[in-house]
Amino acid sequence: MSGALASWLYPIFALAAAATYLLLPGERRTKPVGALLGLAALAAFIVLIVTRVALPASSSAYFCVCGAVAILATVRVITHDKPVYCVVYFVLVVLAVAFLLVVQQAEFLAVALVIIYAGAILVTYVFVLMLAQQSGAPVYDRRAREPLAAVFVGFILMAAVAARAADLPAARPAAAGAAPMAASATGQNPGNTLDVGTTMMTRYIIVFEVAGLLLLVAMIGAIALARKRVPADEYFPPPPEPGVIGRQVAPF
Amino acid sequence: MPETAAYVILGAILFALGVVGFLARRNLIVMFLSTEVMFQGVLINLVAFGRLHHQIDGQIFALFLLVIAAVEAGLALGLVVLLYRRRQTLDAEAWSTMRG
Repeated sequence: MSGALASWLYPIFALAAAATYLLLPGERRTKPVGALLGLAALAAFIVLIVTRVALPASSSAYFCVCGAVAILATVRVITHDKPVYCVVYFVLVVLAVAFLLVVQQAEFLAVALVIIYAGAILVTYVFVLMLAQQSGAPVYDRRAREPLAAVFVGFILMAAVAARAADLPAARPAAAGAAPMAASATGQNPGNTLDVGTTMMTRYIIVFEVAGLLLLVAMIGAIALARKRVPADEYFPPPPEPGVIGRQVAPF
Repeated sequence: MPETAAYVILGAILFALGVVGFLARRNLIVMFLSTEVMFQGVLINLVAFGRLHHQIDGQIFALFLLVIAAVEAGLALGLVVLLYRRRQTLDAEAWSTMRG
């Protein structure tokens, strides 16, 4: 069964690799061909997933729509000429992934993902982009670096992982003593925020503290990296001669 | 084939596309954006495997992954600002003479 799936996945990935190569920025005028090839590969992938994978009927449509949006937006992130649009498409990737997490009953993580990524990290990216972006479309955004080799490496990796994924066992019933997921004493389903918080504050408390320390170190490191060295003279100009201060500094 | 496989394959696709972007793009900021895309693929994998084993640990790992992503973004963008100030360009090729 896995062999059958892999034998269908490989040609689809090959088609997608060709499409990605044609879509990467360059002097070629083959973007429409690449877009058509890519859409065909995506449609074939979705048909394959729907027909071969036992997705639950309730989440099958969500998976297909959000997965397609995530893949398309990712392709636009890595192929768009203008970095600002790359960032905007990345927001789309984050939203699609967050929706897939909700489908997988990870509500807290989905909301945290949107807040941290779309709210914090992406804003930092946009700030740096505005700080450093040159006017017009510079040549390094219009030409890709070794697109053939990059596509080759990336899609070999993709095919290897995806072929192994077909061998995964089916989900077993929950074992006794395992951390419960989305279960509560009241019998209602309150989401998994309680479980996430309890587990993080008990079993992973050390890791939690280390994560805080890591953030602190990274903050200090980022400040030290991006700091601008200003000569001491500009910070502390030599004091004026006695008697000239009233003429230099107007009162108001 | 179980449901988890579909999520793992989707995660692999996002990760590999991120690798392609990191290798092929020359703009430093877009390169680091590609690593964030790779993080999204790993995130889908962690949650899918946690669900496969009926453990909440996958989601905890994913939360710590968010911490790592924030740290990476902060340091990487600090580095980008530093490099931009040196060469006045975001082109990664400007540093191609930096050989050991």
